[in-house]
Amino acid sequence: MTHSPSLPRRSLIAALGVTAALPWLGHVTPALAAANDLTVGVPDNLTGLDPADVNDTLSQSACRLIFQGLYGFDPDMKLVPVLAESYEADETAKVFTFKLRQGVTFHDGTPFNAEAVKVNFERVANPDNRLKRQSLLAMLDRVEVVDPQTARVHLKEPFGAFVNTIAHPAGMMLSPKAIAQFGKEINRNPVGTGPFTFVSWNADTLRTKKNEKYWRQGLPKVQSVTFRSVPENGARIAMLQAGEAQFIYPLPTEMAPVVQRSPNVEIVDKPSIIARYVSMNCMQKPFNDVRVRQALNHAVNKEAYAKIVYNGFAGPLDAPIPPKLGFYSKQDPYPYDVAKAKKLLAEAGYPNGFETEMWANNNTLSQRGMQFMQQQLAAVGVKVTVLPMESGVLNDRIWSVQKPEDAQLKMYYGGWSSSTGDADWGLRPLLWGQGFPPKLYNTAYYSNPEVDKALEAAIATADPAKREEFYKQAQALIWKDAPWIFLGVENVLSAQSKRLSGMYRIPDGGLLIEEAALS
Amino acid sequence: MLGYALRRLAGAVPVLVAVSIFVFAFVRLLPGDPARLVAGPDATAQDVALVREEMGLDRPIWEQYLRYVGQTLQGDLGRSTKTKLPVAEEIGQRFMPTFWLTVVAMVWATAIGVLIGVISGVKRGKWQDRLGMVFAVSGISFPSFWMGLLLINVFSVRLGWLPTGGYTDWKSLILPSFTLGTTVAAILARFSRSAFVEVSQEDYVRTARMKGVPERRVVWHHTLRNALIPVITMTGLEFGSLLGGAIVIETVFAWPGLGRLLIDSVSYRDYPVIQALILLFALEFVIINIVVDQLYAVVNPEIRLR
Repeated sequence: MTHSPSLPRRSLIAALGVTAALPWLGHVTPALAAANDLTVGVPDNLTGLDPADVNDTLSQSACRLIFQGLYGFDPDMKLVPVLAESYEADETAKVFTFKLRQGVTFHDGTPFNAEAVKVNFERVANPDNRLKRQSLLAMLDRVEVVDPQTARVHLKEPFGAFVNTIAHPAGMMLSPKAIAQFGKEINRNPVGTGPFTFVSWNADTLRTKKNEKYWRQGLPKVQSVTFRSVPENGARIAMLQAGEAQFIYPLPTEMAPVVQRSPNVEIVDKPSIIARYVSMNCMQKPFNDVRVRQALNHAVNKEAYAKIVYNGFAGPLDAPIPPKLGFYSKQDPYPYDVAKAKKLLAEAGYPNGFETEMWANNNTLSQRGMQFMQQQLAAVGVKVTVLPMESGVLNDRIWSVQKPEDAQLKMYYGGWSSSTGDADWGLRPLLWGQGFPPKLYNTAYYSNPEVDKALEAAIATADPAKREEFYKQAQALIWKDAPWIFLGVENVLSAQSKRLSGMYRIPDGGLLIEEAALS
Repeated sequence: MLGYALRRLAGAVPVLVAVSIFVFAFVRLLPGDPARLVAGPDATAQDVALVREEMGLDRPIWEQYLRYVGQTLQGDLGRSTKTKLPVAEEIGQRFMPTFWLTVVAMVWATAIGVLIGVISGVKRGKWQDRLGMVFAVSGISFPSFWMGLLLINVFSVRLGWLPTGGYTDWKSLILPSFTLGTTVAAILARFSRSAFVEVSQEDYVRTARMKGVPERRVVWHHTLRNALIPVITMTGLEFGSLLGGAIVIETVFAWPGLGRLLIDSVSYRDYPVIQALILLFALEFVIINIVVDQLYAVVNPEIRLR
């Protein structure tokens, strides 16, 4: 073998695949943000920017930067008028008349008026548009333009929770001109009336900038808002500590101490509207006996649940819906009492307990929650096999069931957040006799005609006093029937820079950024 | 050589077709209804039915496959069911970040790894060898998510020199490529050391020494050249697998790469994106294999490609 002396080096370089010069990285954006730019560290990528076609809280929060609805939520999730000034409902809860705010324009200059309301609501309600949230407005018949500042909504059937429903992000107003211009591509060309206008959205970053012509005087106070997706919890905290972000969420409860030790950042800890519960299949033995269901409620120490599963960042679930939802009615808790639980089980014919299984998603929190339940229930002789499942598999097993008798489900460890902030969507999908999977989410297969009657009556009127009465009845009945083990309401934890004020996480986990200011 | 490469590429077409059929069938065998996942956790049965129709999943499977093949042949990879953006765009946005991360990590890792391996091989049993292998074992054993977080803590939070993550300028590339490359460098160091040691025991090396060839020449020519063959194979394999994305690194450093896209698409049952990504990864491996074969011939001219 004869070689020239230079060959080894040449072949080594070739072997390494080194090219002569590395071209510069693609579309470069400066890493350093000016002092008045807000960066939010979020866990995932957005799925879209058409508020009627997204169903994750993060994308909805992004939509809230750009769009607004006739009604919206304040930081406590109370209903507040936004693009509407007021509304009137008729007695049948079928006709709602909205007085609209004057002088509001979309980012593209299109005026906001009753015609825009008509275009938007009818777009969402029309099944041909195939929008993910079509069902929210499925009861819409038509929108009547009374005059430019008055829109009258006609429903096919009474729906007392209508105003709450349109406060959901799916009810937000898009520019009619942009809808016509972009069609399906509106998803990436969002044009609304909100405090920020769209700049760009790619792989993991959303950029928006201040809407200079925003209708609320003096707002927004920051020049731009950027969402950056950072999936790793530790890296997201580092981003906040390094000053690259001024707000991050979620903050896992076990990492709260890290933030508490850092000088320039603070924890924001607020109760959520996320109910945690274990549903029990009321159509099957042994859970068809109310004494068994009540026994299991006595068998679980809810304070320990909050401490162990949520590091103390959770409150009690003392009604079928969390306290922050409209028409919540507090019930007497089932005290932790192992002796009583055993007594009830014996009365029901299970003196030595029984064996059963529990399903849940395979995320860390659900697994921790299920292990806790397993340990608690073992103390009263109930042996639980826990089955954490990947979400696709879990969905298949729950929703491929066509006849309720065929359901394999025994116990399901779940959580629910009513995105309309109203009792209706907190109760009806989960506990209404007509809502068994695959139709809705009644994984307890719970059916009490009296509850059904109250739930149906409560949406047949728009009178808050009457609705309150119906929901009070329903909650008391459900509490006594105990189709769930009522566990707790978790808190939403975030962390922010001490420079930041006026930014809120509402109880459904969404973000309100309109009034954010940096000092 | 060019003719050879073209022939190899043409020969890869059946492989790609087989991969496409396999992937198409495979994603549909995954449990979980994509329509249910797209429609979201609180969708009604009615919403789900709408979504299923929109996605074309209500049609018979053969019709879905024919449609998929037809569109793919026309260069249309379809749209992501998650974001509704074109799949080509979704992948395009993430290909370059993955590409640069891979190239930078592989370049330094191969240089350092092979160097350490050769030094360890030459100084077998001496302190240089032990030091090199301490590096290699540590590099393989340190979990990369832990190392990444440690680096972020030191260089971003405490010193403030480098960004914590994201794909922005050259600075943002330093920590992720260092973390990613460490494992690769360690693997290559161990691999090239053993290849080197093995070759140095061959007869022709002994013969060369006996003929009085200078030691440096024995090391760099007779031994390294031959030891490089398995190292190149290994490097090619590592390069190919990194081009498929580095999920842990991408997650820790918020790097918008292909690994996270694949994981997200699988958990979302985003059929069009999964199909296109697997096809892309198969294509990358085909190309890398061809390049690796060419490199054999460069390193050792006795290997001829036909």
